[in-house]
Parts: sequence; C-alpha cells; structure tokens
Amino acid sequence: MSSAPEPPPKDVPPETITLVESSIPTIVEPNASGTSAEASDMSSLSPFELQQLTQNVLDETASSRPLITESIPLAALREEYENGSGSFVQQIDYLRSLGFTNIRRTKGDGDCFYRSLAFAWIERMLISPRNQTVEVAKALSMLDSALLILKAAGFQELAFEDFYDVITSLIRHIVVPEPDGETLTPQILLEAFQDLEGALRISRNRKLGLTGIDMTVSNCIVVLLRLLTSAVIRTDPEAYAPFLFHPESGDEIVPQEFCERYVEACGKEADHVQITALTKVLKLNVEVAYLDGHSDDGSVSFVEFQNVPLDDNENPLVLLYRPGHYDILEKLNAK
Amino acid sequence: MSSISTRRLQKELKEINNDCPQGIALVKAEDFETWYLSLQVLGESVFADETFLLKFRFDNQYPISSPSVTFVVDEHFQAPLHPHVYSNGHICANILGDGWSPVLSVTSVCISLQSMLASCTKKERPEGNDRYVMFAPEDPKKVDHFSS
Repeated sequence: MSSAPEPPPKDVPPETITLVESSIPTIVEPNASGTSAEASDMSSLSPFELQQLTQNVLDETASSRPLITESIPLAALREEYENGSGSFVQQIDYLRSLGFTNIRRTKGDGDCFYRSLAFAWIERMLISPRNQTVEVAKALSMLDSALLILKAAGFQELAFEDFYDVITSLIRHIVVPEPDGETLTPQILLEAFQDLEGALRISRNRKLGLTGIDMTVSNCIVVLLRLLTSAVIRTDPEAYAPFLFHPESGDEIVPQEFCERYVEACGKEADHVQITALTKVLKLNVEVAYLDGHSDDGSVSFVEFQNVPLDDNENPLVLLYRPGHYDILEKLNAK
Repeated sequence: MSSISTRRLQKELKEINNDCPQGIALVKAEDFETWYLSLQVLGESVFADETFLLKFRFDNQYPISSPSVTFVVDEHFQAPLHPHVYSNGHICANILGDGWSPVLSVTSVCISLQSMLASCTKKERPEGNDRYVMFAPEDPKKVDHFSS
C-alpha cells in the first residue's frame, strides 16, 4: 500500500520491449530441452513421436478439465497406456513397486508445475501428523522473509501483495478457524485450487477467510510462486545465468529477459532452473519422477531438489513428470 | 464484493494520481473496467507534438489476464503511424499477448508503448494493414495472434 516512490521497476526496461510482427500461439509447453538428464532420452524420439506425446498430454488436458483433480489410483493411469506404450506401463509398475499409489492430475495449462507444487505443499501441511501450528508458523515465517526477496528483485509491492495475501490467508486457515469455527479441510483446499466459478467461488472464499473477495485462489497462488521464482533468479543472477536458455532456440538468455518471458508470464512451463529456484526459496525437498517411456530396465529416474536436511518423518514432495507436464504423485497409505 | 482486478486497479489508480510518468496522463478512469490515458513521445521523435489516446479494458481476472489495450481512433485522435500499430488502433506487442505478466501495470504498458514509438524512425503501417483492419474484431484480445 506504500505510496512512497518506488525504485524504477526493473521489469520493463523500455529498451528491451519485445515486439513481434505476429506472435506464434503458445501451444506446446516447452519441456526440459537440453538442460537436464532426460534430454538425451527425449532426443531419441522421432519428431513425430514427440509430437504425439505432446498431443496426448494436450488432449487429456483439454479446457474442460479441472485445474486439479481428486486423487486417482495409479492403476487408472496405467490403463491409459496399456494399449499403447509398454515402456510407460513398465515404468508405472516401477513407481507402484516403490509404494506410490495415486496421482493427482493438474491441467496442462503451462502452470501445472507451480499448481502441483503449491497444492502438494499446502496439503502436506494440512494433513501432517506433526504439530500443524508449528508447520504453519514455519511456512508463514518463510513467506514473510520471502517478501524481502521480492522487494530486492525490484518488484513493486502492488505487483505481489494481493497474491501474497491469498496464499498466507489460505495457509493460516489450516490452524486459525473462521468465525464459524471451521478450519481448512482437504475438500475446501481442493475446491480452492479448482477455482470454481461465480457464487460457488464466493461462498468458498468466505470459508477460506477471504470474505468479500472474489479471487481465483489457485491462479493467485500460481502467480505468487512465479514471482518468487523470478525474484530468486533476479537477485542471484550470476548463479543462474549459466543455466538459462531459450526454451525454443536453446540460445543463451540473460536472467532478466528469462524471468520476464519464461517465469513471470503465466502459462510458461517450468524447467529445472525454475524448480531449483522455487524449491530453494520455499525450503522444500522435492523429487521429480521422470516418466518418459525411455528406460532400458523399466525404472524411473528421480531428480532430487534438496533444500533442507532429509527428515525421517517427512518425505519429499514428489511430482510426476511426463514430457511437457507435471502432476502430483502420492503414497496414500503412507500418510 | 471486490475482485482481484478492483483491488489492484485501486492501487494503480492511486499511484498514477500521485506520480504519473512524463508524457503520460490519466484522462478518464470512472470505473475499474475502462480507462483512458493520453500518451506523448518526449524529445526528438517522428511523433513529436502528437498526442495519442490509449484505451485500457480490464476483465475481472486482471492482472492475471492482460488488459486489452488499443489506440483510440475517432474524430479527435488517430493511431500512431507505426509498423506495429494498425490503423484501427490495434497494437502488436508481445507484452499485450503471451508476454504479459502480473508484474506489468497500466503505467508500465504506457511506458513501453511510449518507448516503442520513440524508437520509431519510419512512419508506416504494418504490412497487411488494410486486410487486418477489415477482418479484425473490435477487441484485440479476441484476435488469435495477439493473445494466443
């Protein structure tokens, strides 16, 4: 709310405005090309196969799908591949042998990494057997210190404060009841992340402590996580610059332009760099299971993003990556 | 009931009223759906002494969704003669399409457009202007190649 003069916004330097004669519609979510281990697996696919894979993801995430689904048994995912790719089936069986039982699907709208991570993170706090109050206090204090990073990155307060309020209200609501005595439930959390329309959204927002605010909670949280990711890269450009490339051309790209085009803009999928930055600021351990149909022995490789000491009482959040798309992997009976 | 767009636009309005960048002025903002701002190019420019009027339209998901921004074309105002501006006032700029992000604002869009005009050396319309104008919908956000 500060009306004090802000430092010149870093975000829109006039000299780097990008103008296009006719921009190409973004259909394909850029995947992890060239920066991580799975690139070599992907490169053995023919262009046609790649296109088919991506098309499968797009088809199944048509606009009618919810932003995030109920928990679905992995067996249902396996069925989808049974008539197609044997290697995917083998890899899904491998995941089941590790104890994974369920998947929560997110819509393939380019925001799926951020949405998956946010949901998995907040849900874990909600159903954690640990002291919820302590977990919530830790998360809120972490977000509070992240404000400094957002400011240091040169973002104006008005660019992030509304989104910040949404995520902190939601997390606080895990332990702080509303006047009606209710705290957050898994069902309300899911509805919040599904961004219901109109009247439903308003009554649900009231349950979230957002009385009188017609907000799309899910997208607000996605935006905040994007800004946090960007802020981490912008405030530590030397560390990230060597890993920044144009998702399409593979050319090097400077941190500011990378952040503007591929982090802050909604609908731009996250790659290794964004995951590294975001899990670092959120102090989360995350594993990404790469289900790519290209494993000689049917196993699945996990890429680990470790940011806090491993703890026997708390498993890392696990996301399932299929070329161009992230979902949440769950071990339901272990909870 | 305040939507996210109203909350955000209230703050932007306050900021514009406090401190508006040079060459940019708020002409009309009577609600949180449509705003008009005037735009002049400072210093030496092929657009020196010209004033343009920008129309911003916001939906209730602004700033997550981009504003619809056009140059007003009427009996008082013309669209600048620029290779990225069609004669109906539609603007071809990445930041108004899939390069939009909630970090941007009304002011930063104005500054970007001001700088786009300032760097222009040859006054001309985009290729295919007449054909585009004939078929373009009124709202540029409904054009495929503007907002993918």
